[in-house]
Amino acid sequence: MRLPSGVVTVLAVVLHSGVGLAASPPSGQTLATPPKLPPGVSATLWGLSVPPGSEPTPEKVALGEKLFREKRLSVDNTVACMTCHEPELGFTDGKPLSEGVRQQKVTRNSPTVLNALFNATQFWDGRTGTLEDQAKLPILNPREMGMPDADAVVRKVRGIPEYVTEFRQVFGREVNYDDLAAAIAAFERTQYSGNARFDQFITGDSKALTASEKNGWALFNGKARCNSCHAGNAVSPLFSDQKFHNIGVAAHKQDFVTLARKGVQVVRTGDEKQIDELALNSEFSELGRFLVTKQENDVGSFKTPTLRNVGITGPYMHDGSLPTLWDVMDHYNKGGVANPYLDGGMQRLGLTEPEIDDLVAFLFALTDTKFDALNKEQLAKQRARKNTRPERDTAIAMGKKGNLGDLAPNPDLAVKNPADLGIYGDVTPVTTTQRK
Amino acid sequence: MTLRMKLLVVPCAALSFAGGVALATSPQSKPAAKAEALPQHVLPPSKDGNLVLGLCDGETSMEVPGVKEGQKLTRAQAFAATSKLMEDWRQKNPDANWDDAPVLAQATAPDAKKSPTPAPQPNPGSRPAGGDVREGGVGAQTDAKQVPQQQKANVQTGHTYGAFSERDERIWADSTQAFVKEGHRVFHDADALGGTVGVSCDMCHPDAANTHPETYPKYQVQLGRVALLRDMINWCIENPVRGKPLADGDPKMRAMEAYIYAQRKGVKLEYGKH
Repeated sequence: MRLPSGVVTVLAVVLHSGVGLAASPPSGQTLATPPKLPPGVSATLWGLSVPPGSEPTPEKVALGEKLFREKRLSVDNTVACMTCHEPELGFTDGKPLSEGVRQQKVTRNSPTVLNALFNATQFWDGRTGTLEDQAKLPILNPREMGMPDADAVVRKVRGIPEYVTEFRQVFGREVNYDDLAAAIAAFERTQYSGNARFDQFITGDSKALTASEKNGWALFNGKARCNSCHAGNAVSPLFSDQKFHNIGVAAHKQDFVTLARKGVQVVRTGDEKQIDELALNSEFSELGRFLVTKQENDVGSFKTPTLRNVGITGPYMHDGSLPTLWDVMDHYNKGGVANPYLDGGMQRLGLTEPEIDDLVAFLFALTDTKFDALNKEQLAKQRARKNTRPERDTAIAMGKKGNLGDLAPNPDLAVKNPADLGIYGDVTPVTTTQRK
Repeated sequence: MTLRMKLLVVPCAALSFAGGVALATSPQSKPAAKAEALPQHVLPPSKDGNLVLGLCDGETSMEVPGVKEGQKLTRAQAFAATSKLMEDWRQKNPDANWDDAPVLAQATAPDAKKSPTPAPQPNPGSRPAGGDVREGGVGAQTDAKQVPQQQKANVQTGHTYGAFSERDERIWADSTQAFVKEGHRVFHDADALGGTVGVSCDMCHPDAANTHPETYPKYQVQLGRVALLRDMINWCIENPVRGKPLADGDPKMRAMEAYIYAQRKGVKLEYGKH
């Protein structure tokens, strides 16, 4: 029997391309081989996010974890990285604003370390590109760990015999600030987190989510428009676009226009050092990304955080000003807080109370199952506050007041579920691409 | 509900709500248009009750000796049977324009194309081998720009929208590839297609050969109407594959479309071409 010649050609091509793939790695950069990753963590993203040469090794990770928990890295031996990124609390501190040495409040909410290795930039304003650079700054921040400079840190660590030995074993040289940061970063690169009920659902277990959570997932992709910034897919399952948006959080507690005007003036005339101080220590911290890029359209914008483990990493927003996810929904439902720099994508959403409940239910299904107990506890706590809703403005959300435009048509979920559109639909199981 | 039905039903409902009940129920009001049933490929019955397979041309069919109607072929049996069917079709249509394999794939693999000896028979019992993205297609490793060092991703010059880094583009290319890969899986899997006889798309269209997605929409003789690629995919699912047609928005349908288009990258768009 003769095979259709198509089969012959195609087989040959397949063989050919297989050989080609095996022989030549992707042009340019060679990607590291990821460790065994749980569902919901993308091997592709791991390859993209871990710079070659910075792959965590067990020795570096062990030293990094020890340093992460080391209070002696702070000026008065009271604060460690862990103080604000408590592993048991999903690597946050549960406080609106974090506290550094001598009970000083910093200006921002501590973001989780979970999946931080996948961030395109670090900090709420993205002022560093790598975990190494990130790790160095809080140690020297006067309000955080308060060490005067890198040399002082190195001198102090060199005075602790166990570290002298360990650094020698791991890096083969004297303690230095770069190696210290590299070890902490290596530890952080092992703190990926997937395996939420959502992942079980996406990989084929349709019963892993409740009806309410499924509806929340549809709203997330549809009427509630969450996915326009909190984009998630099988390759980048973080639910963050890694961009910076002004959603008006800073504008709800002060005269933001005046603040912005002053800030722009200072930046136009000021020197770099002064600007850094503005970012860290003053009310101008609220100008967010602007202080990094000096571009006016970045005024008041902050990075879209990942929604992975969002249920256990509250309170929310860069300033921790929203205690519950219900408050977050209220904030977005009315189209954020108006200010001249508001992101153009913000609009009222017209979500009803049951829809908000469904969305919050869905968000709690994004928590890694290893935090199940904490997740339940947090959900109960937040639900108990459901009737205290300072951000709620139903009249604006529903278009009875204000001028935030008409809504997009509300999709009939029985006919077409917007969550089914991408490869993160609920029917087709998607397995993350494994790099060879 | 189709758009046309909505266009008819919605004004009717509005009228009746306004009190014009008589209008809405009067003989003049048009009944909602019904979707015209597609012609079916009626297969000749077998005297011995053997399984009869149909080809997607809507005409060619063959009995599979030794396999009864209602039984499911193994992948090996299905491969053999569909190859025979294709051979019959080619004998009937010696001048037919059959695209053997994606154009660019041939261009990038000249040795493979001119190979004088037939390539080894596939091991039909095994899972399909082969790339989900053909040589020259868009894949994470082919067309995406390389990921920058981290500081490049760190640059956002003041515009939230349009401020896309090479890292973003890499993620997008990988996402597209994942979608295409899923299409590749469905295309090669009779069960995923919902087939009842063990036939999958790749058996007649190895590596999506001769699917010519670039020629749709066009008049399809089997369907007796102008069809989109997805209509033709559904025809094949209903007839040779013997499954149930997929909804337009079914992720499997969407993934297969992605795969079929990906296999024809670089081919000129020529809708309506035969």
